[in-house]
Amino acid sequence: MRHFKSLIRPYLVWSFLLIIIPLLLIVLYSVTTGGNSLLNIQFTLENFKKIADPIYRQVFMRSLKVGLITTLICLLLGYTLAYVISGFKERAQTTLILFVTIPMWINTLLRTYAWISLLSDNGIVNSFLNRLGIGRMSIMYTDFAVITGMVCDLLPFMVIPIHTALSKMDKSLIEASHDLGANRRQTFWKVTFKLSLPGVVNGVTMVFLLSISTFVIPKLLGGGQYVLIGNLIENQFISVGDWNFGSAISLILAVAILIMIWATKKIDTSEGGER
Amino acid sequence: MRKRAAACLLTAALASAVLSGCGSGGSGRVLKVYNAGEYIDKSLINEFEREFDCTVVYETFDSNESMYTKLMSGEEYDILIPSDYMIERLIKEDYLQPVNWDMIPNSENLMDSVMGHEAYDEGHVYTVPYFWGTVGIIYDTTIVKEADTALGWNLLCDTDYAGDIYMYDSERDSFMVALKALGYSMNTTDTAQIEEAYDWLVAQRDTMEPVYVGDDVIDNMISGNKAIAVVYSGDAAYMMTENPNLNYFTPEEGTNLWYDCMVITKNCADTELAHAFINFMLEDENALRNSEAVGYSSPVESAFEEMRTTTYQGISAYVPRSDNPNDEVFGYQETELKKYLADLWTKVKAY
Repeated sequence: MRHFKSLIRPYLVWSFLLIIIPLLLIVLYSVTTGGNSLLNIQFTLENFKKIADPIYRQVFMRSLKVGLITTLICLLLGYTLAYVISGFKERAQTTLILFVTIPMWINTLLRTYAWISLLSDNGIVNSFLNRLGIGRMSIMYTDFAVITGMVCDLLPFMVIPIHTALSKMDKSLIEASHDLGANRRQTFWKVTFKLSLPGVVNGVTMVFLLSISTFVIPKLLGGGQYVLIGNLIENQFISVGDWNFGSAISLILAVAILIMIWATKKIDTSEGGER
Repeated sequence: MRKRAAACLLTAALASAVLSGCGSGGSGRVLKVYNAGEYIDKSLINEFEREFDCTVVYETFDSNESMYTKLMSGEEYDILIPSDYMIERLIKEDYLQPVNWDMIPNSENLMDSVMGHEAYDEGHVYTVPYFWGTVGIIYDTTIVKEADTALGWNLLCDTDYAGDIYMYDSERDSFMVALKALGYSMNTTDTAQIEEAYDWLVAQRDTMEPVYVGDDVIDNMISGNKAIAVVYSGDAAYMMTENPNLNYFTPEEGTNLWYDCMVITKNCADTELAHAFINFMLEDENALRNSEAVGYSSPVESAFEEMRTTTYQGISAYVPRSDNPNDEVFGYQETELKKYLADLWTKVKAY
């Protein structure tokens, strides 16, 4: 294998150009002022101080809340789905997983627009409710609409890693657990769930990462008043043009995410260590 | 050694693909046009390509600000179609080159009334009008009482319609509404007046629970989801043709009178083709088709009159008001003021 090593070089250059340099630029922007051209910069911590403003703290807390709720719902639904799917024959499983990924073939924006026409005040759901005599409900521009859209969008990212973990599991371990007198619940928690934990951690990390930095779905389903960190960053870069402040927020978000990933990995390894 | 060479070659190929972007294929002359989304009759572009044997690279932006950001990042275009205040900024920052009016014979088709407000470009040195209009309120006549429109902008604070309102999600347009409702100039730099406008917006948010939307307001109003919305006149004209229950008015306290213009960038090499494009868009027939497709008011006299008396007869929104002294054109804002307004706007929305 040694002689293929040099093939990694294009990738190294590639990732340096597209990942490392932009990251360094974000760090540079976040600690300077003096416009976007980086011609006459001055170092400052003003950008970070600005984030301490209660309004921005509130935006952070709201993003965190939405991210956690989305991840939790995705975990419950995704685990159940993956568990059910892994009970089928192998060929059926492939087809079912294909069905899970089919929505991802369609652009997120289109799917979100579909939710708009479903949920809006004169939309399909409401006319259905109306026909049933329940009456109209205002669903659009609420937490419910945003979280529904996000769960729908991100569910495959939860199902696939969990399903992979479950299907790789040695089924004889479950039989062994039953033989040793564990009931179904005990078997599930002590054997199945524990062995699928790496998949769960991967799924949770991915869904959480994506949900905490999203901005399209909250903007369309939550309206302009539904400001999350992603929207704040987009706004600073696109319409305000304050790349320094935008970079500072991005950096804080990145650090927060890193800490959370580290914490989840910690749970993963410590749980694994008990075995 | 050969593998190393292959690796280097691959890297070089990937890097050049990144750095150069997608080069435009084909031969001959190329014109890069950057316009707002849904803002042209696309068949006109094909026709222009055929007539002048050239390729038009047509790209769209969703706001003047995102256009500016793209320009800042080094992207180059020949023709831009931004709004007045953004043009003022581009002129100040030396991005544009003067228009040679001799090369645009169709400029005689332009209405006199659209040429008189050029605070953004004294004497139309750089700008050729593309569309124009106002900002006003569109309302559902089955829900909103006709008499209430006398409230002007304060209709947006009438608690009878709480929870039934769309506001436009941009600090410029929302502060314009608040400042006008309070009787101030929308180009004010007086922080006391801006604070007052901020309080107006906060109070409106708390009592009326409006939803802050972008272009989705169009579909929402057409399907009648809410009763009142702040919209651009051209969008209003389109909505009114789609939903006959809608009506539009421009509050007496004054509003934003705006002009979107075609401008030529400094780095445009084929200025002859650029002028030909501008001239092409001002041809009577083409201007009419463009206005019909988009719904916005044409600056070309014959097209404007034709639309007003036929397709858009009775659609008040197609005829922007141009006789109210309270109406203003947006001016250039200093970066500090812009940041200040953006912060306040985030506070209004995110609370």
